[in-house]
Amino acid sequence: MRKVNSWKMLFFALVCSILLVGCSDEKSANSEKGQTGKEKEIVIAVNENFISMDPHNTGDTNSNSVQSAMLEGLLGFDKDGKIIPVLAEEYSVSEDALEFTFKLNQGIKFHDGEDFNAEAVKTNVERIMNDESLRLNSRGFNLITSIDILGDYEIKITIEKPYGAMLTRFGSAKMISPKLIKENSSDIPKSPVGTGPFKFVEWVQGDHLTIERFDDYWKKGERVKKITYKPVPENGSRVAMLKTGEASVIYPLPAQNLEELEANKDVVVSKIPSTIARYVSINTMKEPFNDVRVRQAFNYAVDKDAFINVVNSGFGLPLDSIIPSKTIYYAKQDVYEQNIEKAKELLKEAGFENGFTAEIWGNTNSDTMKGMQFIQQQLKEIGVTVEIKSMEEGTLSDEIYGAQTPEDSKLQMWYVSWSAYASDITNATKPLFHSESFPPNGSNTAYYNNAEVDEWMDAANSTGDTSKQAELYEKIQSAVYKDSPWIFLGVDELLYGSRSDIEGIYVETGGGINVNDANFK
Amino acid sequence: MEFTSTVREKKHVVPKKKYSPVREFWVNFRRQKTAFFASMFILLLIIIAFVGPSIAPYDPYQPDYDATLQGPSSEHVLGTDEYGRDIFSRILVGTRITLSVSMSSVLIGAVVGTVLGIMSGYFGGWLDRIIMRSSDVMFAFPDLLLAIAIVAILGPGLNNVIIAVSVFSVPSFARLVRSSTLEAKENTFVEAAKSMGAPHKRIMFKHIFPETVSGLIVFVTMRIGGAIIAASSLSFLGLGASPETPDWGAMLSMGRDYLGTASHVVMMPGIAIFLTVLAFNLIGDGLRDVLDPKTKNE
Repeated sequence: MRKVNSWKMLFFALVCSILLVGCSDEKSANSEKGQTGKEKEIVIAVNENFISMDPHNTGDTNSNSVQSAMLEGLLGFDKDGKIIPVLAEEYSVSEDALEFTFKLNQGIKFHDGEDFNAEAVKTNVERIMNDESLRLNSRGFNLITSIDILGDYEIKITIEKPYGAMLTRFGSAKMISPKLIKENSSDIPKSPVGTGPFKFVEWVQGDHLTIERFDDYWKKGERVKKITYKPVPENGSRVAMLKTGEASVIYPLPAQNLEELEANKDVVVSKIPSTIARYVSINTMKEPFNDVRVRQAFNYAVDKDAFINVVNSGFGLPLDSIIPSKTIYYAKQDVYEQNIEKAKELLKEAGFENGFTAEIWGNTNSDTMKGMQFIQQQLKEIGVTVEIKSMEEGTLSDEIYGAQTPEDSKLQMWYVSWSAYASDITNATKPLFHSESFPPNGSNTAYYNNAEVDEWMDAANSTGDTSKQAELYEKIQSAVYKDSPWIFLGVDELLYGSRSDIEGIYVETGGGINVNDANFK
Repeated sequence: MEFTSTVREKKHVVPKKKYSPVREFWVNFRRQKTAFFASMFILLLIIIAFVGPSIAPYDPYQPDYDATLQGPSSEHVLGTDEYGRDIFSRILVGTRITLSVSMSSVLIGAVVGTVLGIMSGYFGGWLDRIIMRSSDVMFAFPDLLLAIAIVAILGPGLNNVIIAVSVFSVPSFARLVRSSTLEAKENTFVEAAKSMGAPHKRIMFKHIFPETVSGLIVFVTMRIGGAIIAASSLSFLGLGASPETPDWGAMLSMGRDYLGTASHVVMMPGIAIFLTVLAFNLIGDGLRDVLDPKTKNE
């Protein structure tokens, strides 16, 4: 009886393996055909699902990076995050920083055949200004008082008071076909129509999103016929896809797989500095964290280099200001080097010689868990017992942003990160340190409240004078860094991998993937 | 000559040892080689659970950032994890957590399930129907899913894992005990006790319960293996032990990012779980062969 069973099992296993081999054969044959034939396709695997294709209502990096292949703004960003003209041929800003004049490139067409001109720009800007559902992302555009068409290809936009990040906002506001806005605006989040080098084909939620070369694109260049984006959350699967060639590019590339992939000749691993800051925000309104000495002690307790080695597998730089070094107006501060003695002394001065117990919150992402445990180990050295509470992202966000007043907040410490365009220092500071940005209005989860810093931020935002801005932001950085509303940890380095037969695809400092010149070598 | 003969005679006179069920069990169980070996392994684990923290070569919580992800060496027998903590020490200390969580959850489930099962089988009628139908409802949920739901309601933590695992063990025990109760209550000694006017409680626990014990012991051992896996899975999903505790499941979970590069980080706790579960299942098999009246006489 037993023997028969084991024979059956063996036979079953044999059949299974034949089937598996059969499947894999077919697949590799297909991809081979795709790569050598005319209809070439590049597959890009990313870690998260896309949320919306509406460029005027997007908060996540992944959606943004797909959109940037199909849509373009008046301005854009180069490899280092500096502002460059794109659809605008040139632009000028008036001395009082209130008037923005754009001279547009001529002969550009949208994917649906519509002409790109001043009228199209006006339609787009008006949509962002007036559509109630876009209110969350209309920052800056809500200040616009008038839009003047100066000619077919020239437009002037006036705002009511100076806003420091306005140019960055023009860079991130991408242009959609006016026909789509007027006739079918409900389709924008599902299938946008822009001027970019690729046009939208299809989007199967959770599985893939495909774009195709737009043959009438206004900038000449060699481009691949088709690009498919696939969300693959599991690190291991993404790496396997890159190794087998199923995906041509993966982002992010898990740091722990770096060595193994670097040895692989078919794969090129790239490393770039980012504008993503990692930190622990400390609720400065709660005891005992309301004492600056306690917060400084925390900063002295943490070894930043060990953090980068252990949590980021050695990729990253210490966070030596309140903003990453790539951000405009960055000024390096004196880093809190690990000094357990000094930390203990500070705690003693603050009256916590025997330490205390604190809670740290974070999401369930495995990197976050690793980081929180690291903080726990480091603070144990100075006698502070940290309890880890990891929550699912949605619950966590409810707990943090559900608090209507600082008194309601149960948050003590939060392990988190923040990223902003390198050119957008307003977004890198105001939502995090201005007293108007307490949750739920902003992300000042440290409840940091410093009237002087508020004033400097407001002043910097309402002037167009860059040297004055630089001076103000230097003061802000030094003051906030000393006040330690965060445990300053590190700035990520981004890793991505591509097959060696691919060119023209790179990841930007903010984490977006640029595919404008994507092609096979 | 005479002297030797008396000795021989004396030997013959030695009376046979008295019959004892424990002795019989011991003799039979020793013949089950694999099960016997497995139970020695579990015994070792139980000893480790008591003395583990004092014999561990390193502090299981102490990081060493200069020695992260090292493979097995003479210094660290099973290597170090992503924080440079000694994996051998963590497994030793984790033994207590794993054994106590799995054993206590199964025992709680067994006690509650047995009481319900005996009552259900003994009284029958509407009580039987209520208990059995609610067990059916519980059976309709996959075990782990039910546990996840319970932990999701109660919140993460080892105590809640124990509750969750014991809750989903209850119906299996109730059903098992009920069926042996139905069989046992037909025995003449039960009838005799009834006719003498013994109270229900006495009949249930003094007369019927001993009849169900052998099946129960087998099932408890088998179930512990499952409970270890369930508890480890919950910890792996981040619903059990907090990530810094040297719980085997939590160690697996934290180490899974290093599967491709430093596989010993997951391999070691994985092997520990595997061996422990295997040992419990082998003991269960052996016990069944010894205790189960159906297979006992083959």
